[in-house]
Amino acid sequence: MIWKQLLSIMIQHWRFVTTSQSSGISTIFPMPMLLQSVLWTQMLEMENSALRFRQSCGSMLMPKGGLHFVVPNVEGSMAERGAHVFSCGYQNSTRFWFPCVDSYSELCTWKLEYTVDAAMVAVSNGDLVETVYTHDMRKKTFHYMLTIPTAASNISLAIGPFEILVDPYMHEVTHFCLPQLLPLLKHTTSYLHEVFEFYEEILTCRYPYSCFKTVFIDEAYVEVAAYASMSIFSTNLLHSAMIIDETPLTRRCLAQALAQQFFGCFISRMSWSDEWVLKGISGYIYGLWMKKTFGVNEYRHWIKQELDQIVAYELKTGGVLLHPIFGGGKEKDNPASHLHFSIKHPHTLSWEYYTMFQCKAHLVMRLIENRISMEFMLQVFNKLLSLASTASSQKFQSHMWSQMLVSTSGFLKSISNVSGKDIQPLIKQWVDQSSVVKFYGSFAFNRKRNVLELEIKQDYTSPGTQKYVGPLKVTVQELDGSFNHTLQIEENSLKHDIPCHSKSRRNKKKKIPLMNGEEVDMDLSAMDADSPLLWIRIDPDMSVLRKVEFEQADFMWQYQLRYERDVVAQEEAILALEKFPTPASRLALTDILEQEQCFYRVRMMACFCLAKIANSMVSTWTGPPAMKSLFTRMFCCKSCPNIVKTNNFMNFQSYFLQKTMPVAMALLRDVHNLCPKEVLTFILDLIKYNDNRKNKFSDNYYRAELIDALANSVTPAVSVNNEVRTLDNLNPDVRLILEEITRFLNMEKLLPSYRHTITVSCLKAIRVLQKNGHVPSDPALFKSYAEYGHFVDIRIAALEAVVDYTKVDRSYEELQWLLTMVQNDPVPYVRHKILEMLTKNPPFTKNMESPLCNEALVDQLWKLMNSGTSHDWRLRCGAVDLYFTLFGLSRPSCLPLPELGLVLNLKEKKAVLNPTIIPESVANNQEPVISANNGQSMGFQSTEDDHPIKETATSISSHQQGVKRKADMPLGSPLEPGQILEKNEDSKVKLKIRFSNSQEEEEVDMDTVHDSQAFIYHHLNMLERPSTPGKEQSSGEINMHPVSATPLSIFSKESNSSKHSDHHHHHHHEHKKKKKKHKHKHKHKHKHDNKEKDKEPFGFSNSPASGRSIRSPSLSD
Amino acid sequence: MMLVPQQSLPGRGHVGQSRAGSRMDGVRGKRAQQRSCGKYATTPADNYYLARRRTLQVVVSSLLTEAGFESAEKAAVETLTEMLQSYVSEIGRSAKSYCEHTARTQPTLSDIVVTLVEMGFNVDTLPAYAKRSQRMVITAPPVTNQPVTPKALTAGQNKPHPSHIPSHFPEFPDPHTYIKTPTYREPVSDYQVLREKAASQRRDVERALTRFMAKTGETQSLFKDDVSTFPLIAARPFTIPYLTALLPSELEMQQMEETDSSEQDDQTDTENLPLHMSTDDSGTEKENASVLQQNTSLSGSRNGEENMIDNPYLRPVKKPKIRRKK
Repeated sequence: MIWKQLLSIMIQHWRFVTTSQSSGISTIFPMPMLLQSVLWTQMLEMENSALRFRQSCGSMLMPKGGLHFVVPNVEGSMAERGAHVFSCGYQNSTRFWFPCVDSYSELCTWKLEYTVDAAMVAVSNGDLVETVYTHDMRKKTFHYMLTIPTAASNISLAIGPFEILVDPYMHEVTHFCLPQLLPLLKHTTSYLHEVFEFYEEILTCRYPYSCFKTVFIDEAYVEVAAYASMSIFSTNLLHSAMIIDETPLTRRCLAQALAQQFFGCFISRMSWSDEWVLKGISGYIYGLWMKKTFGVNEYRHWIKQELDQIVAYELKTGGVLLHPIFGGGKEKDNPASHLHFSIKHPHTLSWEYYTMFQCKAHLVMRLIENRISMEFMLQVFNKLLSLASTASSQKFQSHMWSQMLVSTSGFLKSISNVSGKDIQPLIKQWVDQSSVVKFYGSFAFNRKRNVLELEIKQDYTSPGTQKYVGPLKVTVQELDGSFNHTLQIEENSLKHDIPCHSKSRRNKKKKIPLMNGEEVDMDLSAMDADSPLLWIRIDPDMSVLRKVEFEQADFMWQYQLRYERDVVAQEEAILALEKFPTPASRLALTDILEQEQCFYRVRMMACFCLAKIANSMVSTWTGPPAMKSLFTRMFCCKSCPNIVKTNNFMNFQSYFLQKTMPVAMALLRDVHNLCPKEVLTFILDLIKYNDNRKNKFSDNYYRAELIDALANSVTPAVSVNNEVRTLDNLNPDVRLILEEITRFLNMEKLLPSYRHTITVSCLKAIRVLQKNGHVPSDPALFKSYAEYGHFVDIRIAALEAVVDYTKVDRSYEELQWLLTMVQNDPVPYVRHKILEMLTKNPPFTKNMESPLCNEALVDQLWKLMNSGTSHDWRLRCGAVDLYFTLFGLSRPSCLPLPELGLVLNLKEKKAVLNPTIIPESVANNQEPVISANNGQSMGFQSTEDDHPIKETATSISSHQQGVKRKADMPLGSPLEPGQILEKNEDSKVKLKIRFSNSQEEEEVDMDTVHDSQAFIYHHLNMLERPSTPGKEQSSGEINMHPVSATPLSIFSKESNSSKHSDHHHHHHHEHKKKKKKHKHKHKHKHKHDNKEKDKEPFGFSNSPASGRSIRSPSLSD
Repeated sequence: MMLVPQQSLPGRGHVGQSRAGSRMDGVRGKRAQQRSCGKYATTPADNYYLARRRTLQVVVSSLLTEAGFESAEKAAVETLTEMLQSYVSEIGRSAKSYCEHTARTQPTLSDIVVTLVEMGFNVDTLPAYAKRSQRMVITAPPVTNQPVTPKALTAGQNKPHPSHIPSHFPEFPDPHTYIKTPTYREPVSDYQVLREKAASQRRDVERALTRFMAKTGETQSLFKDDVSTFPLIAARPFTIPYLTALLPSELEMQQMEETDSSEQDDQTDTENLPLHMSTDDSGTEKENASVLQQNTSLSGSRNGEENMIDNPYLRPVKKPKIRRKK
């Protein structure tokens, strides 16, 4: 065959091999692999606006996904226009732009050639060997060679008229940016070499590739994308030296990208379920970099933030599973039944879930570090890296390349080898199992015994929670010092007695030692005379993924805020103090605000807390509005306190505080629940007297926040019987605000600010004014700003306003406009973002009556998630999320009832009432019922849990009683199960078979079904997949062999006797209704949320998308 | 004009009418003139010239009478007056030239004679003509004073000529036109006022500018019924949106340059400020450079090394090899 011939030529030229083949390459290679071998020559050329992509084995025009083309619509040649193209995608998406085995576990070496217009630069992986003109001298060919074995998924490409900057510190690092941005690029990347140094030092390992390239491109898919030896960044990360706020963010992105070079690109993963190791390690070392660069406070703050995020997400959705195990080939247990998507493949994950997944991964790495010490941790990393780099220099035949892939088991093994510690329980708790821990703590002090009686309860029944058993650190600050206690949390013990060290004493004036050895004077008058306890902290080191709700007296929180040096403790105290609006809290917060040694983020947080407290105590509040005098003292002129000093942002801490305080102040409300006039005037004065002429830094973020402050000060308009909002009845305060917004927005057109921060704030403020009824609600303005061609930040802000409008005004037109944009917008990020915003702020939800909820919308969304989006996983999963938010798992209430009342459940062998027709009133109930029946009751319900399966499963009639049928479809008397089949006199019935968990859906001619045992076998096999261990045995275990041999009649018979109802069902159709059926088929589908089937775009089970191709080492092991 | 007498001979007695009429006309005309030119505000000078002209008219009329006309059309009289006036003026002008030619200031008789000769007039006939019998004598026009040009407001006393300047030279102008009197008003040093002023000035400028832009271009409005109170300049998509969003604006660059330079000044010498400012406008190149002020030292060192850097992207592009065989 021609393939063989080609291949042999290939191998002569240079080695092309993959890990799992040892002999007989040409015979074992599957088709795609051959293609991969053939396809090391790619030519890309630009012709008019269409970029043509040519390969030695064929050509393709404008791939829909995988590559993104940015072609500005201006005069000039492609290079002058700044047209560029880059590869993008989420997880393995390389196959979209050239045929390959798109798996992270299939490694090979690469030779890449790109022929491009002479004015363009092609940046790709590996070393640029040479650049050669074509014969007509109008094009250049870039030859790249990547000798380190790399998975196709880590191959990338960026072509454009880039400006080239060789890093002045490291000449093997090259930066690329779009024309005119070179000055920004110089500044932005001037820091990168320090990141390099840091990583190389802690990992005691040189950067694995011989070169590194950063490319900054427009319309980026994600801000940071790491590929072998190159990273693709959004061009919006570039900034000049005048920008403060963007600098740390951009540096973080750079550091993140570089961390992924080591773990993610150089070291790849065995299979999808090992992804957490890579994300975890890269996130963890990135965290170490943060600690070193931004300090421990920032690091701890970040950890706290990430922890809060993951905890909130898991409690909301029911858990994030890092290392899903899919019970071998059988896949009978679905570990993520609480989710509306499958976590079996990276491409079916909701984007939010994936973000949280990464977040949890690095937090778990930190937990491991806590356990085995950082030294060992770094040794493990070093070991992984050095094994990999030894392997990478080996020839393929030595079978060493698998060392470059990391697997969970391999990782754990090397941990135990290096540290000698057993971390299995930890792994079991956080990696093999989803969900987090929720503690409730309270205490009492027993004076007689001088003992602290601590009670720690756990909530492990709500979704997303698990039971924690093991050690838990508690820190008690007493008068005599700070003491750590390690409590053993066990099954039944709630109470823990902790002996106190100090007697309460009031008279002795003595300094009080803190945790860090510091000794401070405290005013102890506030505390309880009988108790020596100042404050108590549960799990201060965040060594459990948990949420702690701890009760202690307000003065204890105040002491904690003032004297505890840990920023996390301070933040917790601030949060707790919101519930104690007293003068003492006010004082504590003001003190913190003024204290310059205090971490600026804590001070910023204190601002908002102070505003809340002030609002709660509005009737007793004395003195000027909160923070006003403080702000005046810190930032205003001595001689004229109403005028702010000219800007000088040299001190970043006070800059951030100066930015935040007005925003928080604007949240103040007086007794009439209006923003005090004084505050508004104050903010307007800040705007008026703002003077940045002598400042070294740009004040665009500051001005933007002042507009945010104006928006915050807006309160709902007093509306007299729904009059139309006109200019005449405009509130005078609002008039002033509007005046400022207008001026700012117009000035932006003439003197645009960096990233148009001011426009963004103005748009948000206008939406606030609209929402509060001061200005007529109208999306036209936002729609014009949302058009393609505006800066992406502006577009997102405008779209957010439109989304909000859609919700508030229930406008079908705008919803359609948004959905059209989701389908047609040229920028993938914007498309994704619209869906995300719609999901976050949905126009209606599943339990809500809404005029927007109609059949067309259901169809539209259904279409969006099932066709046309196969090239963009993120978008499709976004559509799925939105669908779930709008309609839930049940049949959308706006759809007409299906014709068939009863369905046959193949799995349970019985007919049941079609669960899709249970109307909304029961819909709430329905979900749990289904999952209970399925034995998958993990996530959603706790109440239903104790229902004996029998009860829920028994009677169809009970279901039917709950059914309120729509008038036009009276069901009549309850059908006997089995009746349906009798009705089908004709044996040639079309059966629509639906399997809840596999989402397989096929029209089957029953004749063939009769004969085809294999068919039934196949489907039963699929049915097996979804259950959860534990619950499954009673209901689901199907003895497949007998069943597979059973003719259909048995189904009906069995269905009578079966005690288990299920929502697996068959739809019976008349032929004539078939057409209509098709439509319904669609609508049912969503109910069963697993999308395995449609997530496999190429429809073969060993698709690269699955992350576990047949020859994947994970299986061969 | 010389043809008029023969033609109008038959109509004697008409002149008298005409004269009366013309006088009437004159009066009426003057009034009318006064009325119509009310806004021109007849100055004494105007009156003076009008009186002279009236006298000339009388002269022309009497000459006509002498020649035997009884009446004449007003237009003819006017034309003749005009001719006479120009003739007399020419004599005067020419005479003055001759007198000045001989370095005198006052024309003498001989100047007039020469002039008349030059103009082709036979001087010898003049005495005879003057003594003709039928000549009419008209009364001399009332002596009207040469109007004085109204004096500009005088401020202070004109400086007398110093001794070396002849007295016939013109006088010095009013002192205020050339004397510099520096005034020292106390500059506003009150910080608050200054800030206030700067702020409101900037605000006014911004508002005026944006309003102007809004007026001249397309706008959007928050209120459907009123498009002028809060006009928003319409959002226009850019072809390359990231450029405007990321690159610092010219104003910012300028500002940055200023702060940079002022910083340097602080370090070196504050008195150099004006000097420094003047050298500051040395073109756009510097502007660009200042953006990267922080990196200049760094990139400078790089430029030096650039030749040594071996980066594949800096290498020259190779020429294609000749294909070995087809």
